[in-house]
Amino acid sequence: MPDPVKPIAKGMFLTMKHYINMLRAREKTNVTVQYPEERREQFSRTRWRHVLTRYDNGLEKCIGCSLCAGACPARCIYVQAAENSDEARYSPGERYAVRYEINILRCIFCGYCQEACPTGAIVLRKDFELADYNRKDFLYTKEMLLEPLPIQADVLPVPMEKARGMVGAGKE
Amino acid sequence: MADNDLVNVKIDGIAVQVPKGTPAIEAAKKAGVDIPFFCYHPKLSMEAGANCRMCLVEVATPRKGPDGTISMAKMPKPQTACSLPVSEGMEIETQTEQVIADRKAILEFLLINHPLDCPICDRGGECPLQNNTIFYGPQNSRFIEEKRHFPKAYPLSKHVVFDRERCIHCARCTRFTDDISGDHQLAFLKRGADMYIDTFNQSKMVSKFSGNVIEICPVGALLSRDYRFKARPWDILSQKSICTQCSNGCNIKLDYRVGRLQRVNARLNEAVNEEWTCDKGKFGMDYVSTDQRLVTPLIRRDGALQPATWSEAMDLVVQRLKEAGKSVGAIGGARCTNEDNYILQKFFRNVLKSNNLDHRLGTYLPPAQSGLHARLGYHTMGNAIADFERMKTIFVIGSDLVNEQPILFLRVRKAWRFKGGRIIAANPAATQISEFADPEVTYRAGAEVALLNGIIKILAERNPSAADLPGYGDFIKSLAGWSIEKAAEESGVSAERIRRIADAIFSGETAFIAGKAVTEHPDASAVIEAICNLAVLSGNAANVNIPVTQCNAQGAMDMGLLPDSAPGYTPVEEPGLNTRQMLEAAADSNLKALWLVGADPVAHYTDADLAKRALGGDTFVIASELFLTPSAELADVVLPVASVAEKDGTYTNCERRVQRIFKAFELSPDVHPDWFVFADASGRLEQPLPYFSARDILREINVTVPLYADCSPQKLGNEGIRWQYPSAKSDLQLVPVEYRPLAKVTVAE
Repeated sequence: MPDPVKPIAKGMFLTMKHYINMLRAREKTNVTVQYPEERREQFSRTRWRHVLTRYDNGLEKCIGCSLCAGACPARCIYVQAAENSDEARYSPGERYAVRYEINILRCIFCGYCQEACPTGAIVLRKDFELADYNRKDFLYTKEMLLEPLPIQADVLPVPMEKARGMVGAGKE
Repeated sequence: MADNDLVNVKIDGIAVQVPKGTPAIEAAKKAGVDIPFFCYHPKLSMEAGANCRMCLVEVATPRKGPDGTISMAKMPKPQTACSLPVSEGMEIETQTEQVIADRKAILEFLLINHPLDCPICDRGGECPLQNNTIFYGPQNSRFIEEKRHFPKAYPLSKHVVFDRERCIHCARCTRFTDDISGDHQLAFLKRGADMYIDTFNQSKMVSKFSGNVIEICPVGALLSRDYRFKARPWDILSQKSICTQCSNGCNIKLDYRVGRLQRVNARLNEAVNEEWTCDKGKFGMDYVSTDQRLVTPLIRRDGALQPATWSEAMDLVVQRLKEAGKSVGAIGGARCTNEDNYILQKFFRNVLKSNNLDHRLGTYLPPAQSGLHARLGYHTMGNAIADFERMKTIFVIGSDLVNEQPILFLRVRKAWRFKGGRIIAANPAATQISEFADPEVTYRAGAEVALLNGIIKILAERNPSAADLPGYGDFIKSLAGWSIEKAAEESGVSAERIRRIADAIFSGETAFIAGKAVTEHPDASAVIEAICNLAVLSGNAANVNIPVTQCNAQGAMDMGLLPDSAPGYTPVEEPGLNTRQMLEAAADSNLKALWLVGADPVAHYTDADLAKRALGGDTFVIASELFLTPSAELADVVLPVASVAEKDGTYTNCERRVQRIFKAFELSPDVHPDWFVFADASGRLEQPLPYFSARDILREINVTVPLYADCSPQKLGNEGIRWQYPSAKSDLQLVPVEYRPLAKVTVAE
């Protein structure tokens, strides 16, 4: 009578061998991403959600020039500018965007706005989770698009006196 | 040479014929060759030109050698095409290596001190400096030093801010204030790199036409304070329109964005405003996009005006109109389009069977303009606006021209400045015309007839051929008591100056312009008769001008918004009530319903008390309005109607030029044009006036009003059409005018 234990042990050994090899190789060969617990790393030049950036001191880079709106082939950007005053300063120079809206449903993520921006204010970054429930919520306002303030920056608007020392503020 | 006035020139080998003395840059334009420029402007004089050097070209002229052969001699240095009058046989090269290098160098120089803050400059996107730099400029600058700095956005005037850093010293604005507006406000200070533009002693720039310097500035140095940072050129849409601020009918562009008016720019129309606007028009049109605009109908309930729907409001209106029967009236229309006015009068005459229509809201005059019509055969203006350029003499009487008729003022000044015309002015007080009027006399208020009689007396003696005119005998008899000395004494103008005025009128074709001091004179018809006498006597019967002042008052007259005449000035059988009679009837509760069509008697009628009593009484008052005006506040129903930016139609300006306006945007779906409201009311009265668009109505006007037969939508085009009277008046006559000093005159009713 053949020994029943031996082949079973052999088979189990083979299974365990593959199982352990699999566990060892998992880092390299696994294709399934455990979204949303995990997110795949985006390419460095990916163009997803827009962000309005700030200088290190917190001043907005956007000067409300509307060149992004001019360059936009989908006409999805609306910019309304206003003048920085001595009491309230949002950006270096004379002009800032008081309203900045992107209709993200219309946006084709071509990145022309980023290319047109003379100050590097509007950039397309890697946040790709743009789904939402209401059409209204796809109208991204300036508040939604702006980067959070750097930790040590003043809360905008800052008075003129304070802004003098800030990046580019006196240069115009 | 085929023609003495034309010369043959070649631009880049393209042969063109242009009048002698044309600047080379204009000849190039005709040849279709592009020469870049900044400071050149066809409407400004060349004496102070050639500042920017951008239009450099190489020029060769034919020269006869000692042996008789003709060779082309090249000028040793490039020439500025804007200041170079062309001559016979001239050959101009605009694409040589030298010229291309020169353009690059000039632009590099101009950009040395230009801040290049294009992204925040309001001119960015429509800037000649940007365009020329892209097409003709160098790729980069060798200038690495610090640029010069001035304060940004220096407030030059109420409307204009000035960025000195951006100025390229083209002198367009300074030449504008010298050549066109005549206020001499701007000038260059200092020299070289320190040069800048400023007003005298840094005072505020005071000008009725300051807005134009914003438009002619080739960079973003002079900017509008109202439009500052509002929009970029690619954000805005533009619609052709007509300015509604006065009766001159300037052609404008309404630049709007997301349904709000952002700015007003002039539109070229050589026959009317050339390319200028006055500040009233350029900065005063923003009323169309204010938050005070009415967007829902209001009905008076429990003593207060409350929002209602259109059907509620119209049902009430129609019910009250039915009850009122023929006892209804309408005041207004001087601000509405011809189409609105036509439907208004059709609604009142055909549906309500009432002739109580009047658009006049100033002092009520015995029909001043029709007095002119009886004498000379036209109602308001004998001349077109462009005609003033060719006049030898222009006599402005009783008119603060720059405030009443700004574009006429520019033409009159142009006649003086560029065409050698002589301007004489007689006003009760000094006006801005004193800059160039010679002489400008100041007469005692109300003594126009005395002054005119003095002038007439001199002319009658000098012009014996006038004896053939009908009425001459009586006329001369009535002047028997008059001498120059008496005229001088009565009017307060010296005899010597009266003689000078008479000399000027006698010297050639003279146009007469009368203004508010005449039309609002208590004895206006006598003054107008006297002006007509003067015109007939001096052989200028076709040149009397008494322009209307409100936007479409001329059109309202043409469309029959008068108690005694239907469209096209056909008399009606039973004349209705005029404005004063309607208000009096309303005050005495003898009028059941009164419709105010864009009229505000409480604010604008001379007798505000009467207007208040009339509107506050028992009469049912309907107001079609843009705003809740003092009169609308007293109304029983207020209907929100469309402004100039929200409707199509035509306006007729003071010289009878019919011009189209186009709908730019919609304020609210609840705001309709005036004609739509009347058509709606007529439908609810079961006598419908079925029209679908302003074009429909204009086509009907073309058929029913012979004067407007040519003014069809297709033919009006960009320039508009000035309608003509069928024939000039042939039976001119002289009429004795009795001079009544002001104290003895009571207001004519």
